[in-house]
Amino acid sequence: MEYEFPDDLKYIKTHEWARIEGDMATIGITDYAQHQLGDIVYVELPEIGRTIEKESIAGEIESVKAVGEILMPLSGEIVENNTILTEKPESVNSSPYKTGWMLKIKISNSSEINELLSVEDYKKIVEDEEK
Amino acid sequence: MDFVPHDDKTITEMLKVIGINNLEELFQDIPKDLIINRLNLPLGLSEPDVLKNVKKLSQKNRVYSNSFLGAGYYFHYIPSLVDFVISRTEFYTSYTPYQAEASQGYLQAMYEYQSIISRLTQMDVANASMYDGSTALAEAAIMATLITRKNRLLLLEGIHPEYSEVVKTYCWGQGINLKIIAENKLIDELNQDIAAVLFQSPNFFGDIEDVLMLAKKVKEKAPNCLLIQCMTDPTCLGVLKPPGETNVDIFVAEGQSFGISPSFGGPGLGIFAAKKKYLRKMPGRLVGKTKEINGEREGFLLTLQAREQHIRREKASSNICSNQALCSLSALIYLISLGKTGLREIASQNFQKANYVKNKLTEIPGYEILNKKPTYNEFIVKCPDVDALTHECKQLDLLPPLRLSKYFPNLKNIALVCVTEMNSRESIEKFINAAKNVLHNKKEGKK
Repeated sequence: MEYEFPDDLKYIKTHEWARIEGDMATIGITDYAQHQLGDIVYVELPEIGRTIEKESIAGEIESVKAVGEILMPLSGEIVENNTILTEKPESVNSSPYKTGWMLKIKISNSSEINELLSVEDYKKIVEDEEK
Repeated sequence: MDFVPHDDKTITEMLKVIGINNLEELFQDIPKDLIINRLNLPLGLSEPDVLKNVKKLSQKNRVYSNSFLGAGYYFHYIPSLVDFVISRTEFYTSYTPYQAEASQGYLQAMYEYQSIISRLTQMDVANASMYDGSTALAEAAIMATLITRKNRLLLLEGIHPEYSEVVKTYCWGQGINLKIIAENKLIDELNQDIAAVLFQSPNFFGDIEDVLMLAKKVKEKAPNCLLIQCMTDPTCLGVLKPPGETNVDIFVAEGQSFGISPSFGGPGLGIFAAKKKYLRKMPGRLVGKTKEINGEREGFLLTLQAREQHIRREKASSNICSNQALCSLSALIYLISLGKTGLREIASQNFQKANYVKNKLTEIPGYEILNKKPTYNEFIVKCPDVDALTHECKQLDLLPPLRLSKYFPNLKNIALVCVTEMNSRESIEKFINAAKNVLHNKKEGKK
């Protein structure tokens, strides 16, 4: 199976991605993750202003067959969440890296960035899971 | 295959087919010390003898001509239509149907039930029902902790003591803290860490709370704190303001009053309704109406079970995957039978009759009504001798009111009296006489 994993993003092994721009990061789930979940029917996102620790639960994704959690790749304060997903949760399936983004955060600990996975490392994890 | 008891000939034939000589051989794998050769039971009886015995036993039940007992389960008239409809074999199954077994007819009945509860309570959404009032309250409490991500609850005194116990049990397993407080301590106890305030109105003692005022107090001090109302006799919704109009976030009630016989305290019906924004956190299941993709035909289906184990696996936060289908059907048929005006009539009769009894009791020396707030069909009265009143009631063929000391040992000589539309004028007069007789007998020095 071929998945799309953009080079300019950072990843974590629970299949979330982060696009880092200065002290801000945009967060979503990967193409592989949306494939695994199947048709997404509901996305629950945290309220703006909340600070959530790295690897803690930020929200939930419900598909027709399962419920998954959105984990924070980095600690930070929620500054924006993608309101399009309330009406069109299927955007996560059709465009996981663009219209299907989930959160924007203000990074609270920039040293955590070094712990994120590169696209090559993440691809290896997906390959292992696919085996 | 018919069930036919085996005779010796059949047994021998069957043993021969499987190649053994006797029954003992068939059970040879069971360890010797576990085999019971003779049960210490009397010989079997013929069917007529069994019937005779059971009838004799049933005569030990005392059936009173009328009741003044409420406290959670209520005697209301059940229209004949209720039993007629629920006895139909399409509905009357031994077990609640799950998705696979739920017929369109049953799904539609659940859908109509949800709609009627939503309309009656003026709450946005109602689920397909829970086990009973107390477990519905416990589920509402847990739901509030999931919504707010806080794990402290305040319960106002006046919640049915058995309901509080059930909430405590559910919370104990989940590490949720709760505190039972008097209403006048609410402001002191409220803060940003509280997930919800739980209260009952009309409460266990009969008081009708000023819910709007309560909601205002809670939301001013702790804007994110949820307000959860429970109710034990929802017939009062025929006259009282519905929870949807008093800023209640989650509403639960025991639905037994809606066409379900009190029996010996069950089965009940858990009514569960909430504001729309909490839809996804609701326990239980929701039936929805849909249309064919290519066509106009409508159908019903289980739409949402957002918290249950078959959807969420190990992340399930509630474990009621079914509902009280037959009892919710009773409630539906009951409410349809009465209609809007009928329920209002029932409610005003309950209110008027109970308040009549209340006034009559105050005229008898030694009796004092303890409620400071308005009441619906229950109230508490201080008696000269509550045990003597109980005795007198029984003498007059009346099921006596609850003695509060059953739940609150310190509250001596207080009765929780319930009067419904089922109490005839005659029974009310008898009850007033019972109350008077207590005094009379006291003077005469007998008990």
